[in-house]
Amino acid sequence: MRPKNTQRLGPATRVALRAGARIEEHSLDNGMRVMVIERHGDPVVAVMLWYRVGSRNEREHEAGVSHFLEHMMFKGSGRFAKGEVDRCTTELGGSNNAFTGYDHTAYWFELASDRWEKAVEIEADRMQSLLLDGTEFDAERAVVLEELSMGDDDPWRALTEAVQAVAFERHPYRRPIIGYTDSLGRLTVEEMRDYHRRFYHPANATLVISGDVTPERALEVARRHFGPIGQGAAYAEVDYFRPKIVAFTGERRLKLAWDDQGKRLCMAWPGTSVGTSDDDVLDVISALLSGGRLSRLHKRLVVDEGLATSINVSNDARVEGGLFWIFAECSAAATPEALEKAIDEELARLAQQRVTAKELARVIAMLEASEAYDEETVSDLAEMVGEYAVDAHWTLAFESIERVKLVTPAQIQECAQRMLGRESRVVGWCLPKKSPSRLKRLDDSQRSSLKKSKARRS
Amino acid sequence: MSSRQLESSAPSAQEEVPRLHVPIVRFRLSCGAVLLVSPRPGAPVTAVQVHLRGSEALDPRGKEGTAFLTGALLDQGTRSKTDEEIAELLETAGGSIAGGASSVSANIAGRDTNLLLELLSELLVEPSYPQRQFERQRQRVLDRLLVERDDPRVQGEHLFRKLVYGTHWLGRPSAGTIASLGRLTRADLVAFHREAWVASRAVLAVCGDVEPERVRALLERRLARWKSGVDLVTTPPVFPPLGTRAKTFPAERAQVHVHLGHLGIRRNDPDYATLVVLDHVLGTGPGFTNRISKKLRDELGLAYTVNAAIHASAGILPGTFSAYIGTSPRHVATALEGFRAEIRRVQEELVGADELRVAQDYLVGSFVLSFQRASRRAGYLISAERHNLPEDNLVSLPRQFENVTLEDLRRVARAHLHPDACCVVAAGPISQQELEKALKGPRAKSPPSSRKR
Repeated sequence: MRPKNTQRLGPATRVALRAGARIEEHSLDNGMRVMVIERHGDPVVAVMLWYRVGSRNEREHEAGVSHFLEHMMFKGSGRFAKGEVDRCTTELGGSNNAFTGYDHTAYWFELASDRWEKAVEIEADRMQSLLLDGTEFDAERAVVLEELSMGDDDPWRALTEAVQAVAFERHPYRRPIIGYTDSLGRLTVEEMRDYHRRFYHPANATLVISGDVTPERALEVARRHFGPIGQGAAYAEVDYFRPKIVAFTGERRLKLAWDDQGKRLCMAWPGTSVGTSDDDVLDVISALLSGGRLSRLHKRLVVDEGLATSINVSNDARVEGGLFWIFAECSAAATPEALEKAIDEELARLAQQRVTAKELARVIAMLEASEAYDEETVSDLAEMVGEYAVDAHWTLAFESIERVKLVTPAQIQECAQRMLGRESRVVGWCLPKKSPSRLKRLDDSQRSSLKKSKARRS
Repeated sequence: MSSRQLESSAPSAQEEVPRLHVPIVRFRLSCGAVLLVSPRPGAPVTAVQVHLRGSEALDPRGKEGTAFLTGALLDQGTRSKTDEEIAELLETAGGSIAGGASSVSANIAGRDTNLLLELLSELLVEPSYPQRQFERQRQRVLDRLLVERDDPRVQGEHLFRKLVYGTHWLGRPSAGTIASLGRLTRADLVAFHREAWVASRAVLAVCGDVEPERVRALLERRLARWKSGVDLVTTPPVFPPLGTRAKTFPAERAQVHVHLGHLGIRRNDPDYATLVVLDHVLGTGPGFTNRISKKLRDELGLAYTVNAAIHASAGILPGTFSAYIGTSPRHVATALEGFRAEIRRVQEELVGADELRVAQDYLVGSFVLSFQRASRRAGYLISAERHNLPEDNLVSLPRQFENVTLEDLRRVARAHLHPDACCVVAAGPISQQELEKALKGPRAKSPPSSRKR
């Protein structure tokens, strides 16, 4: 029920109706964007604050600062001392979390619909008065280093990071979001404070309030807490210090060794930017190859020929152009060569023969039906709208299926020919260890590239 | 048929919590299965869950993994449909069906609920377990077990359960072993399904934009041929006595996975609600509001992942009290001492009134957040039926949380936690000798740092 006497709203920049929700876009005077998603099914509100900054924006010497800063946002601000954010959330019966990506950083609260305002109050306070105490900084650095160690024990993570490092060469996308042991070890509080000042301000933020709330109330609360904060520097997409993504030619190969019996394959091709027409086509190709049991790669590799125990294809579109990935785990009885050959044959088939209308219709129906899961909770909606809003445009969240429906067999064939050939890709294998040193398993050309990234971690 | 409206409306310390409505309609189908339906108009997803009493407990000796494969291969074909026909019908409607040792979880998008219920019924009543699919899927599981054989994260968990539960089936991996899977045949699965996947041992829960009576009518028709079977015969479980037992799984990694704990409680333990509150003070409170996270992660920086709980695994049979940390080898002794010190502290001293209030407010206030997804609601319905929870559980449980006192917490900590009689497992770059030293405390010599990769 909407309150009868509310502050008059300015016109929303754009409005959409979707998934039982009304979505409105507004702007505060200081340039901050506020997205309100009104859906009253459950007495729950999700509050997410998105900053358009991620590991892509880091300079070489500050690798990992975006993620480390995300941890420090829970370690004290002007009105919420260390531990107070968690204590307040817990007292209110809510949950909170945060995550850092290549292109964005997001903070999330989920609370009952009569008490969500505290989340906005907390976000506004830590945007403008984060403490960054030196003792807390050192203690949390130890936690982040343990998180990094945890990832070092994961063979898939080691493999994907090695492949990514080769694929992006000099661009920051090549680095793991968490950074390296030595970059984290050298980082100072002053550098982090400067980073916070550069990127954590209203003009670089999108607030999403989603759930059992009215636009009037959401705007009133957003204005009260964020309105008085100064605008901050406008976001500059062009960073002249950031190396560009350079297209490479030729197939680049690398091998890692791991002390288990797994034979893990990771292939990556230069991908595309979020929201482009290639993004839509690659989504469809991804579903054709590994979406469900009847998908081409799953059916052939896992079901029919038993070459792989699992297969997964991912269109990892990012703001500046991402990667198109294929991950496969080779079965014990199969050889890596046989698995790779079968994948290559399926990719060649995609490039040589147009998919039938029937197969395409099946995949589109599957993608359309799966949308319901992306919109089930108010947090799901907040995450989808927020991510598209900071990476491209929020309306893409609800247009993507309509765009995907327009993809034709000819476009799929053309995209496969242009983007998924052997002439520009990285192929990485992680194979059972046969010698005591992982680096000894690499051939000379890969050893030098991997040594660079390993050196930063040691 | 019985119908009830469950509402959670217990007031928090601060203010009234928004009401949570979870209507449940209960039926007994003529095949013998119990059906629970929770209608939720407008819900974008419908979830169906099935629970079968018995599970891994019925695995034939030497053929461990039979229950798991019987459930996992349920969707590989029926008398009238191939696995591909099942996938075609399901996937284009945004549906999925996944079986396990004692359960099936299914979901579908939009309003195609009848399709899901019809397919699921067919799978429950007449799965065909085709020979080719059996061979392929068994090989996939074998390949996974072969890889996991060297994984300290997986083997640490297995070893901990083995130390706690001994030779009881709870101490065995659900998927079986490389040796036991090697002995399985298709006929074993067919026989297991015939004996164990029977209607009288089944509970079905459906949650979504559905009408209970229509769901009942459809399932009544589709499950009419499902054999009722015989009642499950259970024997009292026998577990090893409490005591200190320590084992390692050595592996060259950066971190050690440390598990410390012992036999826990059943869900119907009268101290359950009090132990939920204690867990939130000691080791599972969200963020870093619990003592163990605050001390070991926040103050000492020993780990990214650390937790402890006794209530989460409570079931028909006793769960475990389990504390876990993933940490560097040089921190193992400090972590073990930290766990035991925090456990002793809640046994010896009353916790702070503020700590108790924060935990209670969270438990009462977060109730509404737990029921947004259809799958979560369906899971709750199954749990309530299995554990015979009172009809007003969603109202009475928050009230029980609120009534817990400081003295209650100390009493249950003394009664249920045993820091000096724990099973301890360390999996990673650590030897048995180094673990024994670590158990003596942080002043004992630490493992050499050169083990770290």
